[in-house]
Amino acid sequence: MPLSFPYVGTFTYVFESIARGMKRDDIIVPDEPTYRTKQLGSQHSSEFVCTPFKMLLGSIIEVIEKGAYEIVATVFVDYCRLGYYSPLYQFILEDLGYDFDLINLDWFNKIEFFTSFKKLACNVNAVQAFQAFRVGWIKNRYIDQIDKSLYSYGAVEIEKGASYKVAHKLYRQVVETEGMKNIRMLPEIIQKTFDDEVEIDTEAKPLKVGVVGELYAVVEPAINLDIMRRLNDIGVITETPITFTRWIDLGQRMNPFKKWHYKACIKHAKPYVRYPLGGKTRESLGAVIEYKEKGWDGVIHLYPFTCMPEIISRSILPQVSREHDMPVLSLVLDEHTGEAGIQTRLEAFVDLLERKRNDRNGF
Amino acid sequence: MKDLDRKIRVGIPRALLFYKFSDLWITFFEHLGAEVIISPETTKQIKNVAVSLAPDEDCYSTKLYFGHAMALKDKVDYLFIPRFGGRKKKYVGCPKFIGLAEVLRSMIPDLPEILMPHYNRGMDKHTRIGLLVRAFRLAKIFRKNPFVRISAINKAFKAQRFHNKSLIIDEETLQKWENSEVILNDFPIYNENEKQLKIALVGHSYVLNDPFSSLNIRSLLQGYGVDIITSEQIPRKLIEKQMAKLDYDIYFDFEREILGTIMHFIESKTVDGIIHLLIFSCGPDSIAGEIAARLSKRNPTIPLLQLVFDELTGEAGMRTRIEAFVDMLRRSIDEKVIFHITQVRI
Repeated sequence: MPLSFPYVGTFTYVFESIARGMKRDDIIVPDEPTYRTKQLGSQHSSEFVCTPFKMLLGSIIEVIEKGAYEIVATVFVDYCRLGYYSPLYQFILEDLGYDFDLINLDWFNKIEFFTSFKKLACNVNAVQAFQAFRVGWIKNRYIDQIDKSLYSYGAVEIEKGASYKVAHKLYRQVVETEGMKNIRMLPEIIQKTFDDEVEIDTEAKPLKVGVVGELYAVVEPAINLDIMRRLNDIGVITETPITFTRWIDLGQRMNPFKKWHYKACIKHAKPYVRYPLGGKTRESLGAVIEYKEKGWDGVIHLYPFTCMPEIISRSILPQVSREHDMPVLSLVLDEHTGEAGIQTRLEAFVDLLERKRNDRNGF
Repeated sequence: MKDLDRKIRVGIPRALLFYKFSDLWITFFEHLGAEVIISPETTKQIKNVAVSLAPDEDCYSTKLYFGHAMALKDKVDYLFIPRFGGRKKKYVGCPKFIGLAEVLRSMIPDLPEILMPHYNRGMDKHTRIGLLVRAFRLAKIFRKNPFVRISAINKAFKAQRFHNKSLIIDEETLQKWENSEVILNDFPIYNENEKQLKIALVGHSYVLNDPFSSLNIRSLLQGYGVDIITSEQIPRKLIEKQMAKLDYDIYFDFEREILGTIMHFIESKTVDGIIHLLIFSCGPDSIAGEIAARLSKRNPTIPLLQLVFDELTGEAGMRTRIEAFVDMLRRSIDEKVIFHITQVRI
């Protein structure tokens, strides 16, 4: 049965490598979301459900049309609507008359997680399946590394688009590398390729902006209109602390000495929001202070329309920004977000940051 | 230092969870010797203040909360806004209930001190004893004597239990209502030559009981001669029974009530129609509304009307839709009767 999954930013590459590791040759790799994906998703979902729901639904419909039967989804109890995605997809897709099987990976219910996981790994035994998963989380680290290099080299490259090309070549290389020994070599290869193939402007003094917010809005270029690349194009180095690492990277999770960025952020956010309330509320608030301490110039906060937890952080962010003297730009995204509007606001924000830096340096 | 002969004034905004736990909170503070001031019923002025202050993307009910808090601002020493995460294991409320107090504190700096006890049985695994301990600590602001504090907590829970008991009916009463033997809410004004209609009014308690945000739908239906039952009144047992039929857990506590009621009436077919009141951009509603609509589409027996409310909703438009819905229900009943008679003739 053809296996597929909805498109979620560069995490798609990790999905793909896990599935390949489990010797599933019948995977259908989803395409990047387009205008049609957004249309399909919002056509079949309720009016004020959050935007990631619509986008993922559109992506699932597209892969089903391409012939997929088994579709990987997640379901778990949280404060927000994320846990209902899969049951509602079941309803909507059944009503549309498609033939499919949603496989729910419930991370908080470990027994169920591994039984569903076994269902996916029908070609291999349990040890091999676990090994494939392990390779997946290790590759996830390197995908994150490529992302990080891409969005810092992209700001200072001389030939526009060079680092983007290099990154896409490297993503494929990471997915296709096999054997633990070769995989362990990847970080050096990534660093070397960027150093060799991207010519950078050593004179430039780029601004640095952190991008935080809701997971899907940050990692999926289709919903945030590739905001990180847009910032790179106007000469700003960007980085996001929000990746899938903290969930799937069991190796790092088991390491008690690992310093998690989000844990530090949550500590910073304590005076503003004390208790957990879902999403990345506390992390978004704390990240502003964290980036200030690191000496960065500004923070951009992204969240999809009607996201419940992020509205809370958006309401408190002006206070954090005021008290810590850190510029913050909050952007709400939905399927109708226009490119020109985002571009104008980003340029204005970057101008403001530049003026602020010049003032500080006494120009 | 506050005057000793003046009572401490505690303000409770009349919005959101107030409609669920009003008896608990008011009894608790009154027995501690505080003066409880509750904001007035929602008016147009409160709404205008609320809409101008609140974050744009918040749901309509949360926006109204800002207006109610502003109405109390200069009249009280403390504002009581609990950070409520859920009262049952596994089930949560809306995340906004937890963040509300902190958002208000951040957005309106000159508010009086906010009392914000945190209780979250759903996700943070607080125990029931934990709730008592929190209430005990909170009471220290008002009275030092531990016995007075314990008795206040005791009386408050008693009052809440009594409130729940008188609000939630048992299955026997529900059956009586279905057979038109009792009336549970306001007495409908029947016109001559009109069939009596039964409608289930489903929604959050802060929409059902707030005449302003629901555009007075209850008295409107009363005027049309419609006997209503609300989702708050449905026995818990029936709701749990319906919820067990879904193959996944609905983990929003208040949404279970709503969806369970709709599913119960779709199955039992004892009402003529269901009106589901949704609030614009309410997260849980968008899910429950979608599930309810799809379930009703798959099993088209009882007509379901879903009305979405926000601060721009016009009364005339809403009135027309409800009128049309009631007319449609009347006509469909009449047709059934005619059909029945023709069958007898043959």
